[in-house]
Amino acid sequence: MSSILDVQDIHTFIGQYHILQGVSVEVQEGSITALLGRNGAGKTTTLKSIIGLTPPVKGKVVYQGQEIQDMHSFDIASRGIGYVPEHRAIFRDLSVEENLWIAEREKGDFDRKQEIIFSLFPDLKRLIHLSGANLSGGQQQMLAIARALVPDNSLLLIDEPSEGLAPVLIENMIEAIRRLSSESTIVLVEQNFLVASQLADYYVIIEEGRSVKGGRMRDLVEDSETIRRYLGAA
Amino acid sequence: MKTEIRNNLTRWLTLLALLVFFVVAARGMETQDWVITLLRGLSVGSVTFLVASGFSLIFGLLDVLNMAHGTMFMIGAYLAWTVYVRPDTFVDLLTPILLLLSGFTLSGVWNKLARNLPRKAGWPKILGWVGLVAAAVVLVAVLIRYPITIWDAGNYSQSPVTYSYLANQGLINLPPGLPFAEISPLVAVVGLLLASLVGSFSLSLISPRSQAVLALGWKNFLPFFFLVLFGLAALVFNDGLTAFLTGLDTTWLFLISLAVGVLVGVLLGSVMEATLIRPLYDRPIYQLMLTLGLSAIGIEVVRTIWGRPEFVMPKPSLFAGTGEGCPATSLADLLANQCSTIWLFEGRIRVYNEIFIPLVGIVVLIVIWILLQRSRLGMIIRAGVQDREMVEALGINVQQVFNTVFALGVGLAVLGGGLAAPSMGLSNMMGETLILNALIALAIGGLTNFPGAALGSLLVGLLQQVIIKYGAIGIPIPFSEAVFKPTPPLVPASTVLLMVFVLLILPNGLLGRKE
Repeated sequence: MSSILDVQDIHTFIGQYHILQGVSVEVQEGSITALLGRNGAGKTTTLKSIIGLTPPVKGKVVYQGQEIQDMHSFDIASRGIGYVPEHRAIFRDLSVEENLWIAEREKGDFDRKQEIIFSLFPDLKRLIHLSGANLSGGQQQMLAIARALVPDNSLLLIDEPSEGLAPVLIENMIEAIRRLSSESTIVLVEQNFLVASQLADYYVIIEEGRSVKGGRMRDLVEDSETIRRYLGAA
Repeated sequence: MKTEIRNNLTRWLTLLALLVFFVVAARGMETQDWVITLLRGLSVGSVTFLVASGFSLIFGLLDVLNMAHGTMFMIGAYLAWTVYVRPDTFVDLLTPILLLLSGFTLSGVWNKLARNLPRKAGWPKILGWVGLVAAAVVLVAVLIRYPITIWDAGNYSQSPVTYSYLANQGLINLPPGLPFAEISPLVAVVGLLLASLVGSFSLSLISPRSQAVLALGWKNFLPFFFLVLFGLAALVFNDGLTAFLTGLDTTWLFLISLAVGVLVGVLLGSVMEATLIRPLYDRPIYQLMLTLGLSAIGIEVVRTIWGRPEFVMPKPSLFAGTGEGCPATSLADLLANQCSTIWLFEGRIRVYNEIFIPLVGIVVLIVIWILLQRSRLGMIIRAGVQDREMVEALGINVQQVFNTVFALGVGLAVLGGGLAAPSMGLSNMMGETLILNALIALAIGGLTNFPGAALGSLLVGLLQQVIIKYGAIGIPIPFSEAVFKPTPPLVPASTVLLMVFVLLILPNGLLGRKE
């Protein structure tokens, strides 16, 4: 396996706050990597730094052999990185169909992918003409992920997919993400350790803006000491 | 859910109250009075809407309060007037403008060149700035020697009033074109081309685009050659082109002047966004100061070139007939005699002011509505108003969309100016009054809400006209013989009062939503 994404010691500021103070993440092609850590540790900022919304001031982000840390967001995204932000940032004023259509990178993407998307999220087909504002939380989350599937992405950055979802929906979400991982590499930020441990092959723990530990998920599951120390309760 | 219902109830009740107000106001008038008041309100509302909608689109998507928007409206009026009454000036300017633009159509070529340069130690950037300054020097050196009537400010700024009057009488007699005296035409053309090529290349050195550069072919050079060709043709056939334009029916000339105005406006907006606004996206206060400053500069430039006195642009022939059969009594009559006025409900209606302008306003409203709701660009705009970052993270170049929207907004304001010129007349300060009206209309309708902009503009226009009308006929005071006649200062005051009334009940405007 080779690495598709290599984040090397990035430092990111938001305003005057030095949020990331050295985060390194190496992501193997075809894997699911979970970023773990407490609230405010810098997991979301790491994703945003990769996609270029909060560009790092120091360090490198190498994607498919190319340094992307100085590029514009749209340029990074159009190289095949899909971003699913936290809090289900779908477009409320757009219909479900438009929310998907807007993600087209090449004309016809949406038509081509419709079948896959609706087989993953059958609910969306029924709601296609509804405006985003009228969807339930779970449906919005589905839509946010579906949107990242419209163009051909080789890497998906998914932020807190299970946040605020009912347990039944979490099961669906896990299933959906599993199926996605056969198509593309996934970097996942997940507060819920149970969900993360079921999904991820690898993990990186971020603590106060630094990546402090990483490895195989199955090793972490047995390492209750590390879990207690960095993630609070198991 | 409960608060949603209550908010919507408040909204409907407020709209109902406004409707009742206008119905009561209309019932106090004779039929012909309220018909004309309604049409005038629509007319003022349409012009306000053209400015307000662009302003609101720009503010909604870019978060830029473009305080120069009113000035753009004013410039639009003067641009349209110039093409309409002084086509010679327009033709004179055509060559320098087209040649200057030509280089910028090669941006794809320049980007490819710029990317192939070694990008070490920032020297391409330094070279870029040096090139830009050099291009500006060459441009100024050529332009001040280039024979354009507009340069002779002392003479030109005296003449608009006269020319407008003469044009209105159909007695227009343009002065002969100026000869090339201080500079040979060849040197001028070469200088302009040089300035354009060096300038555009330098710009792409300063801010290279990181987008993938496509393979270059002969197609990349096509727009460049066409622009140069047209520019040279305008130079060679200068007098012929002027004669052709003056010989045209004024309706066609009017349409051409509107189109030219909008094109120039779009260009102006695009350049303004790319050069002045773009570096200031993170600094809202500076944007405000910048656009206010631009507004002041724009007013002074217009004053210098066209002078201070107010003048009126003659109406195009389609709306200017006063001969036999006028005022028209039926639509067929109107079309046959091209009357300037028509009898409607026993009132005399000015066709251009009270029918044509509202029609254009409605057409623009529908066109933009379709653009926003049905096109991909419109979808991106609606999405961007809500969450710019996410749009960008989907791989869409929001910067480019910003530029398009800014250009579009300025284009709308310029169109408004051109339309208003024959009805409101031209003055240096016409933009200032209008931007105030537009801001009030937006506050009433909802700042970033497109239907809100239309509704607010309509309400502002109607209210003003109702007050003006009652200023003439008076409002009877109950239990007394006296009538109350609203004085002119009450006209602008009434719209502010309406705004206060609406904002007290609905802080986000009639159709606006909570941010």
